[in-house]
Amino acid sequence: MIAGLALIVGVLVGLVLRPTVPHVLEPYLPIAVVAALDAVFGGIRARLDGIFDAKVFVVSFVSNVVVAALIVFLGDKLGVGGQLSTAVVVVLGIRIFGNAAAIRRHVFRA
Amino acid sequence: MTSRRSSSATEQLIDLVTNTADPGYAAAAARRGASPKRRRIDQPAVVLGCLLIGFTLAVAYVHTHRSAPEAAKVHNSLVVRVKAVQATGDALEAKAQQLDREIAKLRQRALPRTSLGALQGAQLQAGATPAVGQGLVVQLANPPQPTAAASSGRPGSTPVYGAQLLTDRDVRSVVNELWHDGAEAIAVNGVRLTPTSAIRFAGQAVLVDFAPITSPYTIDAIGDSDVLVTSFADSDVAGRYHTLTSVEGISFSWTQEQKLHLPATAAVTPRYASPAPTRSSR
Repeated sequence: MIAGLALIVGVLVGLVLRPTVPHVLEPYLPIAVVAALDAVFGGIRARLDGIFDAKVFVVSFVSNVVVAALIVFLGDKLGVGGQLSTAVVVVLGIRIFGNAAAIRRHVFRA
Repeated sequence: MTSRRSSSATEQLIDLVTNTADPGYAAAAARRGASPKRRRIDQPAVVLGCLLIGFTLAVAYVHTHRSAPEAAKVHNSLVVRVKAVQATGDALEAKAQQLDREIAKLRQRALPRTSLGALQGAQLQAGATPAVGQGLVVQLANPPQPTAAASSGRPGSTPVYGAQLLTDRDVRSVVNELWHDGAEAIAVNGVRLTPTSAIRFAGQAVLVDFAPITSPYTIDAIGDSDVLVTSFADSDVAGRYHTLTSVEGISFSWTQEQKLHLPATAAVTPRYASPAPTRSSR
């Protein structure tokens, strides 16, 4: 409940402030988005499984963003940034779909 | 060895697809044991995490939607500016012509009769006054554009038939041929040619004295219409465009006119050229 409210408040803050993304951080924005969605779906699934843990939730989000950004940063320096960011999106995307399927099973029992 | 390694890689991939839950949650639950006790930091941590996530998503949304229409916005503002400047140019042109007419009226009153006649002759030749007379009208036009449904090929590439077949060179050669055939005054699409006129090409449009004109091109020439018609029909230029009519599908025709009205252009005042002193005046 309070998590959902905080999510909405975060969205509103972002919409109201409309911060400009620094040019340096621009390539990492899609990765941050995918990592954020992964954390959200992972958290909801854990809550439905009854094993939700706040520490794991926050740490998984932050570390996902940081690690994914680091991988892409390294790839950028070595000339495979585009491919690595695709890899990050694919892996996290698979997790999002899997978690969404688990949530669906929990909610609809189907 | 290699088979084991490859099988473990396959397992990893299968694991990635089938076991999507973050193992961290299961590990944390196992550590806590059966009786979960709430820590005080839990709720603020969740709130902070959700705030961060929401903020990230909103920033990404705003960023994507701000940069996408930026190009369109720039394009629209440029179009508006170009149109405004064109309107200003037209208004200034009209005002210049009106002032020219006033000057002509005042001059008529001030000048003696003999010099007035000489002046009017010079102005007529310079294209500074509207001209009336018999002459020839030549029409040149690009082939009709094929319909959009017929277009094929990679998006972003310009098909061959999309390019303009007729360019400044074609307009220029017709104009030159008409001068050669004895035309005394010529206008292209309503733009009167003066001794300083240039017919150029910029992008997709032909420029006559900086005024962009597009197909069909109508070239009005005042002169002895019989001579004009016979000389023009006989010329290489007319023959060339007749051939192009059948090959490329451009349209090309001319008609003899008994009365043509050519507009005036705003007089160009020479800034660097001045009359050279003649022998008799010395």
